[in-house]
Formats: sequence, structure tokens, C-alpha cells
Amino acid sequence: MNRKVDKNQMIPYLGKITQVNDLAADIKLLGVELSNGGAEAFCDYNPGQFAFLSAFGVGEAPFGIASTVNRGNVLEFAVQRLGSVTTALHELGEGDYVGVRGPMGNSFPMEQFQGKNLVVLGGGIGGAPLRPVIQTILDNRNDYGHFSILWAARHSSLLIFTEEYENWRMAPDTELHLTVDRADKLWGHNIGLITDLLEKVAPSAENAIAITCGPPVMIHFTGKMLSKLGFQPKQCYVTLEARMHCGIGKCGRCNLGNKLICVDGPVFSMAEVGELLESFL
Amino acid sequence: MNYEGFCTRDALVNWLDDLAGQVSLVIPVNDSGFLLYRQVVSVADIAWLVGESGPSTEQMYPHRPVLAVKEMFFPSTEPLVKIKKKAQQVLLEETLPDKPQVVFGVTPCDARGVRIMDNIFIEDLPADAYYTRRRENVTMVGLACQEMGESCFCTSLGGALDDPSDMDIMLTEFEEGFLIQVVTEKGRSLLGKQKFYSDTSTLNLDQVTNRATHAAISPLIPIPDIEAMPRLFNHEIWDRLAESCLSCRICSYVCPTCRCFDLRDEMLPSENGYECYQRIRCWDSCSRDAYRRIAGGHTPRATEAERLRNRIFCKFNYSPRQYGLEGTVACTGCGRCIDACPVNIDITEILGCLAEVVNE
Repeated sequence: MNRKVDKNQMIPYLGKITQVNDLAADIKLLGVELSNGGAEAFCDYNPGQFAFLSAFGVGEAPFGIASTVNRGNVLEFAVQRLGSVTTALHELGEGDYVGVRGPMGNSFPMEQFQGKNLVVLGGGIGGAPLRPVIQTILDNRNDYGHFSILWAARHSSLLIFTEEYENWRMAPDTELHLTVDRADKLWGHNIGLITDLLEKVAPSAENAIAITCGPPVMIHFTGKMLSKLGFQPKQCYVTLEARMHCGIGKCGRCNLGNKLICVDGPVFSMAEVGELLESFL
Repeated sequence: MNYEGFCTRDALVNWLDDLAGQVSLVIPVNDSGFLLYRQVVSVADIAWLVGESGPSTEQMYPHRPVLAVKEMFFPSTEPLVKIKKKAQQVLLEETLPDKPQVVFGVTPCDARGVRIMDNIFIEDLPADAYYTRRRENVTMVGLACQEMGESCFCTSLGGALDDPSDMDIMLTEFEEGFLIQVVTEKGRSLLGKQKFYSDTSTLNLDQVTNRATHAAISPLIPIPDIEAMPRLFNHEIWDRLAESCLSCRICSYVCPTCRCFDLRDEMLPSENGYECYQRIRCWDSCSRDAYRRIAGGHTPRATEAERLRNRIFCKFNYSPRQYGLEGTVACTGCGRCIDACPVNIDITEILGCLAEVVNE
């Protein structure tokens, strides 16, 4: 009972928006720079971790961090306009302040992935927390084996990080496959679900790891397809989300069975959560 | 039992009246027809305490208050930070509570609820700053129950009517007064040097022991084994159990261990040209339909059955595992949810059904 509270985890750091880029229809990439304690707190965050962004006066929501520490001090968040908080964040511009709490949650065990062939599957805005994984692999290309990126969205206008595809494709021993449910006329890639694309690309499960993020239904069916391709649950990683409010295991809103996404996740192996995912659908 | 002393009812009332003048004193009182833990400035007109008889007294005591004592540590609405905005400038002011408080008349089941909340908000790191501060500021003086209420089942969960273990001070009504147990140092310093009680050497305490054993003979509700719970997850029984659930959330709000919260910013009057807001947290409930909605509008646990199942699993399987509750479950057996439910969903019936299914 005499536990000292080192820091009030509910008070955000102030972060200054230094850049705003349109990523896709209704999706913006916000660059946020922290000072004071915030910069220290975020000096060594890892791929897969998340943070809360506040639009002051409106509220707060969790976002996967879309940047890596190695590429600079600016934290990047892909924000899709969906509710009141994301709408308010979309209205902010350079020089405005947001609140930032974090970094929170666990991260992808990138060191364990070294020497493995990697398959990254991103669906829609779910690609955002996978970008740090992609950047880490590309920045340390020799540490990892063959690299396949399967990238999907409901519509071609909703694909994120399109400006980076060329870099991804050009990287050694790396392939990028795109698919969308619906496309405009200029679309020259696959049309269809990411599961169909996955079946077509059919990456070998040998010495491989698959990493998925997207809507629950995509995670579920991608998992089934990976299993069909011979991937064991422990070879499949997912990162999950919930509309959580604390990030420190208190508010109770992100439970998945007896796991809390905020502190036990957001990164899980399918061996940990495979059965629980049924209740997530 | 180790009793510090015995005091008469009058001596207790005088001590409390003194306390009310020095600190914020909270005590179960009739608030618009509901028995609630509320701050009082004097105890003279609290009928059940000063020993007046009458129909209202009988109704209200010794039954437990409508809301659990958790609201003293985790209020239904609580400001976390004040936000001041002017152009691009933002100022944040932490709003930590800072008021010593004595809560008198805490029921043993409520104190046990606080222990479970301690596991979640303090022991599980990082600790919650607000809850921790309130907990430090509050001294709990318990009052043993005289009998089990109609919906009470604390004894099925290892509780007892006069269990002092989670209090700072425990009082047990005895003859024309109260026996006093000092449980913590905090309790001792509250008693201070005021000798409003005498020692117990001249009393025959056999009667008290009898009351404690009375609890053991009340019929026990079967509690499903934590290890067996996963087998119940996909059972069809949940559809039937939740058939009448309205997702009204009252079970969570009256529960001494439900701790889900929502967070939102509210506007305050502006100050010196600053737009002002406060970020508040307020109670939420996993039985609400949109509670679990995620980005893109998808809602896991869309049915009442899935939500009821989650609530029961949270109490009897998830929380004990997540927060290391050491053999206890996140239910105190207070029975409030049974009394409050508008469609008569009864957690003891649910537990009975689950036990039956497990034993099939």
C-alpha cells in the first residue's frame, strides 16, 4: 500500500505538430515533436508500440506509432478520420499542440526475427503500426531473410505510404504485392482480398514469420490462410487494437479473454491469442 | 479476536462528531431515499447510528449502501487534468485529489472490494496516481454486519460478517456498544490518544464468536473453479442466461469491483482568455453495446450473451489471473447487482447454472 507513484501516467506530454501530410483519402500522417520529459520518454521506443494522442478539449485515442527511433526524433502517426478525436486531430496544423502519452505496450521481437524470412501483411490503416517493422527490416536488410510485403486496402484511394512503395520494391530480396477490393481505372495491381493474394503469393512457411495487422475479420482469415500454407501459430504475429483509455492495465476496455491488449500486447503471437480471436470478431 | 477496547454508542457518536469537525467524515446516510456513503458535518441526525428506532432505521440498517465504498477511491466522475488553451498555447494542470477523509460504517464486503481494486490500481504497476492518492488519504472504519441480507452471499466467497482484514479499524456491535479492533497503523493514528473506550477484560465475548460462526451455516453458492471456466466459454448457456439482459449497466455501477472507465474532455467556463476544459474519467461498463467498438466501427462482443459472459469471466477468471488475486475472485458476494437488476438477473443463479454445467 505504500507504493510510490513515480509519474502520473494519465497526464500527456505536449507535442508540437511539425508536419502534416495527406497519406490517403481521410488519412493524414502527423509528425509530432516532443520536448521536456516527452523526448526522454520516447527516446527508445520499439516497433509495435503505441501512444495516445490528445486533441485537447475533445479527447484522446490510441494510435500505433508509425515511425522508428532510428529515422529521427519526429514521432509519426497515421490518423484516419473516423470519430470526434480523429476529426479534431485532422483539423490541427503545423505548430499546434497535441497531447502524447506513451510509449505503451510491448513490441515486435525484431531480434528474434533476425535470420528469418518475413511476410508482412497490412490491411488499410492497419498498415501504420507495421511501417516501423518494414523500416527496421529495410534499415538492417542483412539481418533478415527474404522479405515479402502484402499490402491491401478497401479501395486504391485508401492505400497508405504509397510514396514509399518504390523504396520497398528496390530493397534487396524484397517483394511488394498490392491488392484492393475496388480500384479506379489506373489500377494495375491485384483486385481482391488479401487472403486471395496471400494464397497466390504462397510464401514458404519454412524459417518464416508472418506479421499481420488489419481489421479483425482480415486478421482472422489471414490466420486461417497462413495455417493452410503451413505456418504454425507461433510463426504468426498480430498487432491488435481496442478503444482503450489508459494504456496501463486499469480501464479494462481492451481485454481479449484474460489478456489486456494495452499491457500484454498489442503484439501477440497467434499461439497466445489464436483461440481468443474468435471472441474478437 | 484481539479487541482494543469497547465503547458505548454515545461515546462513539461523540468521537465521530468530533471527527466530523476535523476531517471530511463519510458515513452511510439516507440521501433522497437511498442509503449512500456521503460526507456529513454532524452525526446527530443519523438515525441508525444514534440508535433511534423506527421503520426507516430498520430498512436501512444494517443493509449495505446502494453504491459500494469504491466511489470514495474511484468516483463515478473524476477530473484528471485541467486543460487551458489560448491560440497555439496549451497549459495542463494536474488535478490530484488532496483531502484526508474518514469513511465510517464500511461493510466487510466493501472493504474486500477495495482490496481487489488495490490489486488493480496500485499493486499492478504502474500505479494509478488518482486512486493511490485517494487511498492514502482515506481511513476506513468498518462496521460488522449483524446478519446476511437477502441477496448477500459474501460467505460463499470466503467473506465473513465481521471480517476486519481489509479495514483500518473494525467495529462490531456488542451489547449496548461496540467492540473495537485496530487493524492498521493508519487506524491506530486515527484513534489517537482519545480514550473514548475501555478495555474488554470485564466482558464475556463468547457471544461475538457465536456470530462469526453463524455465517458458516448460511447456504453456500457454488463458485465455478477458475480452471474449469474456459470449458464454459463456448457453452450455449450464455444465450439463455442473458436472454433478458437490457445492457443497462447498473450491475457494473453498483459493483464494488467493476473498474472500467471512459475518458472524455468537458468544457469549463473560460478564464482570462483561456479556453478551459477538464479531462474526466467516468464509470463505464462492458455490458454496454458499443463499449468494445473499435476503429472502423466494428464491434466485438455484439450480443448480450457475449457481454454477460465477459462480465462473469472478468470476475471469476480474467481478473484473478491478470491481477494475481491469490485465490480470490473479483466478486465480493455483496449481492448489489441482484438487487439492482431491473430484469432480475441473479449472479448466484448464474453461478449455480455454471457449476451444474461444469459438473455435467
